[in-house]
Amino acid sequence: MDEFQEILQDFLVESFELIEQLDQDLVELETRPDDLELLNRIFRVAHTVKGASSFLNFDVLTHLTHHMEDVLNKARHGELYITPSIMDVILESIDLMKALLSTIRDTSSDDGIDVSGCVARLDKCAKGGADLEVSAQQTYIEAEDELMETMEDETLEAVCESEPDYENMDADEIEAEIERLLQQRQAEDKAKREQKNTQKKAAVSKVQEDEEDEEEYHTVSKAPVVITPARKPASLGNDEQESDDARAASPAKKQSAVEQTIRVDVKRLDHLMNLIGELVLAKNRLIKINDDVEERYEGESFLEELNQVVSIVSIVTTDLQIAVMKTRMLPIGKVFNKFPRMIRDLGRELNKKIELEISGEETELDKSIVEEIGDPLVHIIRNSCDHGIEAPHIRAEQGKSETGTIKLKAYNEGNQIVIQIDDDGKGLDTDMLKRKSLEKGLITEKEADNMSDKEAFGLIFKPGFSTAAVVTNVSGRGVGMDVVKTNIEKVNGIIDIDSEVGVGTSMKLKIPLTLAIIQALLVGVQEEHYAIPLASVLETVRISKDEVYTVEGRSVMRLREDVLSLVHIGDIFEVERILDSSEYAYVVVLGLGASKLGLIVDTLVGQEEIVIKSLGEFLKGINGIAGATIRGDGGVTLIVDVVAIMDMAKHVRASAVVDTKSDVALLTREKSKASDYTVMIVDDSKTDRTIMRKALEPLGITLVEAGDGQEALSILKQGDYNFDAMLVDIEMPRMDGYSLATEIKKYNRYKNMPLIAVTSRTGKSDRMRGVESGMVEYITKPYSADYLMSVVQRNINFKSEFLK
Amino acid sequence: MSDKLKQIIKKQSQKESENLTHTDDVVQLVGFVIGDEEYAVPILSIQEIIKPFPWTRVPQVPKYVIGVFNMRGAVIPLIDLRTKFGLSPKKHNEETRFIVMRDGDDVAGFVIDRLTMAIRIKKSNIGPAPDTASGDDTAIDGVGKQADKIITILKVKKLLQRDF
Repeated sequence: MDEFQEILQDFLVESFELIEQLDQDLVELETRPDDLELLNRIFRVAHTVKGASSFLNFDVLTHLTHHMEDVLNKARHGELYITPSIMDVILESIDLMKALLSTIRDTSSDDGIDVSGCVARLDKCAKGGADLEVSAQQTYIEAEDELMETMEDETLEAVCESEPDYENMDADEIEAEIERLLQQRQAEDKAKREQKNTQKKAAVSKVQEDEEDEEEYHTVSKAPVVITPARKPASLGNDEQESDDARAASPAKKQSAVEQTIRVDVKRLDHLMNLIGELVLAKNRLIKINDDVEERYEGESFLEELNQVVSIVSIVTTDLQIAVMKTRMLPIGKVFNKFPRMIRDLGRELNKKIELEISGEETELDKSIVEEIGDPLVHIIRNSCDHGIEAPHIRAEQGKSETGTIKLKAYNEGNQIVIQIDDDGKGLDTDMLKRKSLEKGLITEKEADNMSDKEAFGLIFKPGFSTAAVVTNVSGRGVGMDVVKTNIEKVNGIIDIDSEVGVGTSMKLKIPLTLAIIQALLVGVQEEHYAIPLASVLETVRISKDEVYTVEGRSVMRLREDVLSLVHIGDIFEVERILDSSEYAYVVVLGLGASKLGLIVDTLVGQEEIVIKSLGEFLKGINGIAGATIRGDGGVTLIVDVVAIMDMAKHVRASAVVDTKSDVALLTREKSKASDYTVMIVDDSKTDRTIMRKALEPLGITLVEAGDGQEALSILKQGDYNFDAMLVDIEMPRMDGYSLATEIKKYNRYKNMPLIAVTSRTGKSDRMRGVESGMVEYITKPYSADYLMSVVQRNINFKSEFLK
Repeated sequence: MSDKLKQIIKKQSQKESENLTHTDDVVQLVGFVIGDEEYAVPILSIQEIIKPFPWTRVPQVPKYVIGVFNMRGAVIPLIDLRTKFGLSPKKHNEETRFIVMRDGDDVAGFVIDRLTMAIRIKKSNIGPAPDTASGDDTAIDGVGKQADKIITILKVKKLLQRDF
């Protein structure tokens, strides 16, 4: 049974591969119905599938392919001219064949699909086109064909009558039987051929290769002799070789050439890719350590050696990464292959004449991406056919050729793959797009007015948008293009549209080569770091705070000729603004298609190659976060989802304003009793602290003591208290009063907290320094308790009703 | 397959099931304290127990998800059980531990106040969760009775389930 499964697997893999090529061939065939090579190729597919399926006892499939084969056979012998209607039947049968194969894959049986209707139509085609009984006999000519046929007949017989007979035979016996039948058939055919040969010679006068010997005839006879003589020599060599190959190959597994490849389970490759990811992380870490060591042991001789090793490891890792990436690459032709057939069907359905030009199908992409882009491309091409290309009579009126052309092109551009879909249809009308969106309430009037052309084109990707006046079953249900955008963005790709009314539309899908490892810009905000995919970063600029303007509640800046809207990364990621950022800020200009956004960050850390890790099931789908990566120091850094950020930026401004308000509310919280007021006393002398405490205790306020600036700062950072004021001694160990005041002013939360200097320094310059560092009052020792109390009361807005 | 082989296999599977029923009587748990309560989870659902180390905050999540951390190359969410159970947050100290629990493919680290010990408890000594906290919504699997105290046994599956 296992052996059967193995054979079945081989059969399915082979069949699906054959069929993939088939669609394209068939469509080509329609344009060149007399291309013999094509016909032969198609015939062979049907034939191979038939042979193998009968061998595996798939009766329905055998039945269907057998009739397909009949029709195709007639066609390749020139007895049947492939008209579009015959082609429809053939295509239908191919679809059925696909369905059957899928059923077999899923259930190991080909039950449940009715093929009789299609078979009847196939028969009709075969009969309609067939004129001679003689030619029907022509089916079996090649040795390899014969063998297949023999086996098929054999198994069919076996199925019908005496299955157990063959089941019970051992291998030798079967071989002997096959051998016997084969010889028998060969003898018969030989006789037939000779007979026919003479007939044909009589019938066809203009055959040049009359004098072929038996051997040569054997290989060439596959081609109908009625075909134009001029063509024949050209295809001769090819045919010969093909049938030679075919004969050499075993009947069950017919392949035209032995490829130097092995099939590998995708899981293994994924595992390998994960391991490489780990290695890249380790490499980053090694480089970091190397830098540290270099700093510490500058000039030591072993450094050079270490440097060498690190750079070798680094280079090899990069090469390894590329090599593994390449093993995962598939030619994009795998996706493109299904389009000729699709265009043909669409064209017939919509009564349009459409031609598809494909180029760059050998361009390679990561397997996972190839799988992802199939659907978006289908949607785009359907849209082009349905909405883009005009009906033939309209095209004629506009002086275009009646046949519309869609060009599908793939090429490499730097670290990206570009897939370009051009059509020469009516193009996108921006006014119409805006009007439609307005009608559907997707945008506001004001937005419509301010929209650039590019932005207007982007409207077609809005959920709920459909430009077709009439909904056809091809497209226009208003879901398609929305899905396109989501799918492309899922693989970190972007879509770029260009269009001119009456001339055509061009869409460019820019997709990264791989998903797992990307270049990123690391930025810092407060004490946190974030990684931004470098592909979305246009540039970075340093600005000073006063370059930021506020327009309608939104921050903007002028970047050369443009106005760039700004958003602080801290507002998006709810970063607590503990430190007040410095005078300068950095703006990372993010670009995604036509839209731009300036992301304000505190620091730029640098560029690094990062391995994308998922946040897992528990944390997936966090808005604005695409994943995480592990840095050289072992820490985790979150990766920014640029697409989401662009969207979030539109709403975040308002909430940020609310936030600051609530912060203020927190600080000026309503005091209901005296102990709600909290004051910190910072002095290195225990005596001085006690004196101050004694002086303030009558007020009933909460007092917190700190022995020096450092301690005071850490108490502030802990945030256990909400301080209303601080009494600060100037001369203290570790951190003096001035530095403490400067540090405190960096914290947003305590920016406006009154700092009262209590000191024995009385010099004017001391007072000046105090003011500079942000002290509001300056009390010189010694002082009276009442004076201290009144100063504190004034500064904390102490309500008199709390006084006992 | 020969009959002999079948017999051997049958015997083996019998033995195994016997073993199972034998160990079934006793459940091994790891106990830990959050706030004033002692809790426990099955020892087999624990991947490892580690001392606290730096983590990265994640935005837009509930307060109890304090971030993610790197465990040998895997990015794992870190959940503060104090906050999750409605207690006030506490500074990590010497006794604080991260317990990494796993259920199938779901993994997460949980911050606990301190570990107590590994507990072997008879199945018969485990009662159902109180009626007020039963059903699918509760994270309580049952209540383990011991000589001097009771321990709340938690459902790891529920703890690892995203509920926001």
